[in-house]
Amino acid sequence: MNDRITFANFHPVSLFFYFAAMLVFTMFTQNPVLILFSLVGASLFSAATSTREQIFADIKFYVPVFIVISLTNPIFSHSGATPLFFMNDNPVTLEAVLCGVDIAAMISAVMLICKAFSKVMESEKLLCLFGKAAPKLSVVLSMSLRFIPLFKRKFKEIKDAQKALGYFKSGSFSESLMSNARVFSALVTWALENGADTADSISARGYDVGGRKSFALFRFKKRDAILMTITLVLSSVTLVGFLLGKADFEFYPYITQINTDALSVILYAAFGSLSLIPFIFEVKEALHWKYLRSKI
Amino acid sequence: MEILTLKNLSFTYPTEEKKAVDNVSLFVKEGEFICLCGSSACGKTTLMRLIKRELAPRGTLSGEIFFCGKAQSELSERESASEIGYVLQNPETQIVTDKVWHELSFGLENLGYSSDIIRLRIGEMANYFGISHMFRSSTAELSGGQKQLLSLAAIMAMSPKLLLLDEPTSQLDPIAAADFIATLKKINRELGTTIIIAEHRLEDIFPIADKIAVMENGALIAFDTPKNVCRKLKDHRACLGFPVSARIWQALSGEGEVPLTVREGRTFFKENFSPRKNDLKTEEEKRETALSFSDVYFRYEKNAPDVLRGVNTTINRSEIFCLLGANGAGKSTVLRAAAGLIKPYRGKIKTAEGAKTALLCQNVQDLFLMNTVKEDLMDILSVYGIKKGEANTKIEEISKMIGISHLLEKHPYDVSGGEAQKCALAKVLLTEPDILLLDEPTKALDPAAKKELAVILRALCKKGVTIFIVTHDVEFAAENADRCALFFDGEILPASDIHTFFSANNFYTTAASRISRGTFDGAVTESDILRLCGKEKK
Repeated sequence: MNDRITFANFHPVSLFFYFAAMLVFTMFTQNPVLILFSLVGASLFSAATSTREQIFADIKFYVPVFIVISLTNPIFSHSGATPLFFMNDNPVTLEAVLCGVDIAAMISAVMLICKAFSKVMESEKLLCLFGKAAPKLSVVLSMSLRFIPLFKRKFKEIKDAQKALGYFKSGSFSESLMSNARVFSALVTWALENGADTADSISARGYDVGGRKSFALFRFKKRDAILMTITLVLSSVTLVGFLLGKADFEFYPYITQINTDALSVILYAAFGSLSLIPFIFEVKEALHWKYLRSKI
Repeated sequence: MEILTLKNLSFTYPTEEKKAVDNVSLFVKEGEFICLCGSSACGKTTLMRLIKRELAPRGTLSGEIFFCGKAQSELSERESASEIGYVLQNPETQIVTDKVWHELSFGLENLGYSSDIIRLRIGEMANYFGISHMFRSSTAELSGGQKQLLSLAAIMAMSPKLLLLDEPTSQLDPIAAADFIATLKKINRELGTTIIIAEHRLEDIFPIADKIAVMENGALIAFDTPKNVCRKLKDHRACLGFPVSARIWQALSGEGEVPLTVREGRTFFKENFSPRKNDLKTEEEKRETALSFSDVYFRYEKNAPDVLRGVNTTINRSEIFCLLGANGAGKSTVLRAAAGLIKPYRGKIKTAEGAKTALLCQNVQDLFLMNTVKEDLMDILSVYGIKKGEANTKIEEISKMIGISHLLEKHPYDVSGGEAQKCALAKVLLTEPDILLLDEPTKALDPAAKKELAVILRALCKKGVTIFIVTHDVEFAAENADRCALFFDGEILPASDIHTFFSANNFYTTAASRISRGTFDGAVTESDILRLCGKEKK
């Protein structure tokens, strides 16, 4: 379990709702304010949960991605009313450039949210979610999760045993391919043979009795309910804003004005807070620990 | 009250004519600890599986099985699943899920218990079995012994009335095996769970079992208290795995109280024999060196600790050299280095001029790639570029020598543990090694198969092959090695002949040595003791 990340300590169901809301809103808007909030929130959370080296690595990855996407749009899209210059007789417009930046920000935000999701929702949390819906499916998933490292290890074991006998000796490509194929086929035989054992173990423990219920270590606590409520309230407000057209934004042919009426501001505030929740929890916990340590 | 009753139970597999279980009648009282023993393929597993309905093999069954007074067919699925627990042999494959806690809860989930009850039960189990520190770990991270303990705990979580265990310690090292047996004893004594365990390693089980059931060719030939079984089955081949004290008692007098433990064995000796001086020391002769390590250092990763820390040793030509030591200490790494699978970062490993090495790994199944044993043997020869006609004669020769001619057409997974070991050995020997490296060759072998292996190894030795064995099987080393050494703290401690080695050790030594110490100093095996008593074993 990822204990280091405070946000990961919430119940899978609450987390799932949170990330689902963030992803849907981010993907279905073009509004630069909302996208900016989403990007900032996801970046801050990513930074707060990474080491210095990881942050540098992320910057090295995301900045080029951002630039490439921003540049791609004006090269291919020539809509828009304000040409900046001509390239091969095609206009490069201000609208297309800004739209490219907007799309790049949106894609980066989605990628960062997905990254945060995978960081926070380990296999166990996913199993807990699936287990509620389909108790038998969760067993299959759990078994697969066990098999992958097991197969990897077994493959190496078999290969080593063969190496010690003189297979893989010449090191030529064709020989190594043949020998690897042999090892793989041996692995499959092993898996099938031992799968029978696992099947015995499963049925010996009453898998076929019926009425299986899924169990998970997670317990729905007060703080999980609080996160859930906050998520629901803020997303409802955001959703209402979306439905009332307050999040609408167009780049072509002219860039629309950003709405600044009271309802829009409420929408921005709601979505902004929603985006920042994980980061706020991270910072709050860090400060809390600092305070505790100073008292000790 | 009888918890389990078998009445005239017989069973035949569909493809075979011989009965796998032959007219077995057995009455088990509640709370009894019963050990089922007998050579491989004597029908132990079949009998155990018949008792657990979910695992019963297909075939013709006659006779009756009653559990708690009810006929087996009348048990509900729920009763059958939860009240009869079954622990399988292989720790690797009977674990189903990826996390320890999930493995513990698996059975309870199947029975549809609520989350609160499951939480309580698995917490309780994790504590009782001392595995709470790895509660949230991945099952893949556990050692073999821990895995087996987890399997046991997962079954105990369902609170069975009857616990069946099919050779649960055969894949474990002796220390993990002793721990496991001790846990079984605790369960039996503290919870009153009835236990039936099939086992080869009887040294630890005999003293705690209430009754021993001995099977041969599918029939039950004895079912009595351990001491009575020892009296009854004198010189029977089923006695091969019995505790050393009892075996020596059988060979010497066969009268009076039967000693089962080392302590009882010592008392038996003190009372019946006067101290005798040992003259068993073998002369050390100067021999050619086959393999030498000089200051070998190795680590798996740059920043990892050293596994080999200046290994220094020489192994002589055509001797059997045993390296003993605890699990995970790095013994296998020594072998891998000798086989050239890993390169030391400092120091030298030298083999005699032109000598070839071959390694037989711990899990012999890893060696088989083909659908029949013969194809597999052909395959290794083709890798070495040997023509078909020549290959056939070579395979014939080797199968005759090792005694696997009748197995050549079988699938390598369909033969017993001992047979698989022999087939793997044949494959390794086809590469014509001068130095044979064996990693835990006696793991999962029954006493008879161990004896056969010892004979083969000795024959190879006579042909000039050098044999380097890594093992924790102290008894096997004492009976078959020429020299032994202990691996500890990344080093091989100085080697010596077996009599010097085992009589100098107080703890890391054979049961025979512990029993006879003080009376017959220097005797390390059962046959040593018998020789000193003037009773040569036939």
